[in-house]
Amino acid sequence: MVLPVVVVLWLLACVGGLAALWRYKATPAPDGSPPARWPESSAVARDGGQATLVMLVHPRCACSRASLHELNEVMNRVRGVTATILFVQPDGTDETWVRGESWERAHEIPNARVLVDRGGQEARRFRVVASGHTLLYDAAGALVFSGGITGARGHEGDNAGRQRLLAAIRGDGAGSSHVFGCALADER
Amino acid sequence: MTAAGGMPGAVDRRAAELFDERRNANYRRTSRIFALLMAGQWVFAIAVAILFSPYGWEGKQKAVHAHVWIAIFLGGTLSSLPIYLTLTQPTSALTRNVVAVAQMLWSAVLIHLSGGRIETHFHVFGSLAFLAFYRDWKLLLPATVVVAADHLARQMFWPESVYGIVNPEWWRFIEHAFWVVFEDTVLIAACLLAVDEMRTTTRAQAEVELLSDSERAKSRALNHALDELRTSQEQLVRAEKLAAVGQLAASVGHELRNPLAAVRNASTYIGKRLRESNNGEPRVRQFLDIMDRELDGCAKIITDLLDFARERPIQARPCPLASLAAEAIALVPASRTAIEIDMPSDLPVPSLDRDQFRQVLINLVQNAVEAVDGREDGRVVVRASRLDGHWQLTVSDNGPGVDAEAARHVFEPLYTTKAKGTGLGLAIVSAAVRRHGGAIRLDSSSGGATFVVEWPDAAAGSPM
Repeated sequence: MVLPVVVVLWLLACVGGLAALWRYKATPAPDGSPPARWPESSAVARDGGQATLVMLVHPRCACSRASLHELNEVMNRVRGVTATILFVQPDGTDETWVRGESWERAHEIPNARVLVDRGGQEARRFRVVASGHTLLYDAAGALVFSGGITGARGHEGDNAGRQRLLAAIRGDGAGSSHVFGCALADER
Repeated sequence: MTAAGGMPGAVDRRAAELFDERRNANYRRTSRIFALLMAGQWVFAIAVAILFSPYGWEGKQKAVHAHVWIAIFLGGTLSSLPIYLTLTQPTSALTRNVVAVAQMLWSAVLIHLSGGRIETHFHVFGSLAFLAFYRDWKLLLPATVVVAADHLARQMFWPESVYGIVNPEWWRFIEHAFWVVFEDTVLIAACLLAVDEMRTTTRAQAEVELLSDSERAKSRALNHALDELRTSQEQLVRAEKLAAVGQLAASVGHELRNPLAAVRNASTYIGKRLRESNNGEPRVRQFLDIMDRELDGCAKIITDLLDFARERPIQARPCPLASLAAEAIALVPASRTAIEIDMPSDLPVPSLDRDQFRQVLINLVQNAVEAVDGREDGRVVVRASRLDGHWQLTVSDNGPGVDAEAARHVFEPLYTTKAKGTGLGLAIVSAAVRRHGGAIRLDSSSGGATFVVEWPDAAAGSPM
């Protein structure tokens, strides 16, 4: 009589654990509040005459490897877009902080510039708080997409964010999505 | 195949036993594999989590990534019960079902932990194949239910995690289900074929085993028959030798009889004259007694030899056993031994050769008296009864009994344990009883000795 009860409890624990895992992966980071126009104070150069894509990345966030993977998919499909990937380097750290697998992976993405955002200044200018947050400004400097391009934390594969970004690049209207990634800066 | 074909029930039973043994052995073997697999998957999940996502970050602050905790605790929970059951109850159906559910849940966990990599979805198909090692097709049902439930939940809430695209076509579920059902179908067929093959081989093994048992039984019976034949041959050879010796002894005895009678007459005459002369010489009287006694002994030996060698046919006639026993007892010298006749008053009268059976009783009572000689409480009892057409006559004593070695030879001619015995008394008794169609045996199991003579009711007697 005890064993069937144990089996039922075990099954409930497993299903509960899977639900917790699922909940964790599907829980988005704060969306931030990026400016509707390209911030003039930004040191990032915007290409005149074409849309500019900016992705901010925490160099050590495991989830952001999926974001870079999805950005690579996007950049391989589109023309006329320049991507700038900003690796946030917190104050008090040197450049080795940003070096790593994500840094290497970012350099393999076509039509992408990889820059270091020292002290997270650009993140603050773009009012972005989560790693993997991607912004697309059109040729006129208007924000046409803001959000993540993965379906869940660290989850590769087709997803709504990536589709909306592609739609915005094609000029099919503005879009947004949730971001799944680590916080770019600690609250302190 | 005759023996096995003649025992279909035994073959079925043995085949069922062998089938159960082999199936349980396979359950145990597969459970051990799954115990290792469950532990291995747990370690693998932790390793993957630590390797690819060791920390979660907030700026410069780091904390152990949720994947690591999930791999440790969810993985531990997922593997613990199946490992426990596979080690403690490896042949139980509950164990197999728990393993099936756990293995498919592991697929879901690993797909999550690997970031939804499409390659990890192959774990589902590998797990189904692993489960088929149990050769229990029914296990594929709960496993498939878990896969279906996982797919259904994902399709409803997060389709891209299972289909790889955001808006899958409506028939994508059918496509996925088709491949799972396809593998299930192949594996179910494989399980059924494996079980069928196991049944065939265990039945063949049962038939071979029972055939071997039958052949061994035949071999044992043949060896037993050969042993009996060898013993009979030895007895026959010994009997022939004894017959030859007996005939020779009888001839010698017969030839010695007349000279011995002459010597006895002469001795009697000389003794009479010497006693009449009364010369007062005590040694002369003593030697005369010795001569008389030894001449009696010689006469008895010759009489026994002739009785043993003579194959006189029985002359049956009504012969009351009680009076025959009394007559025999009167002829046996018994100084202090109490000899008792214990026969029912309404005992019928058997038909016997009176002279031969009197000799039987004399010899048996004489032996019994000699066995208890010297004992204050020496006691001999002669009993007779009739039951179901058979007669039984017993002569019992409360002497020291007969040891097992002597008991085996006691009816053989010329075998004796007495210092001055001829070894012919019980052989004569045995021969006389056999001539009446009966048998004699010795029972010395409960102290003392009891000779039991049994013979069939050749002629119905009348009450005494």
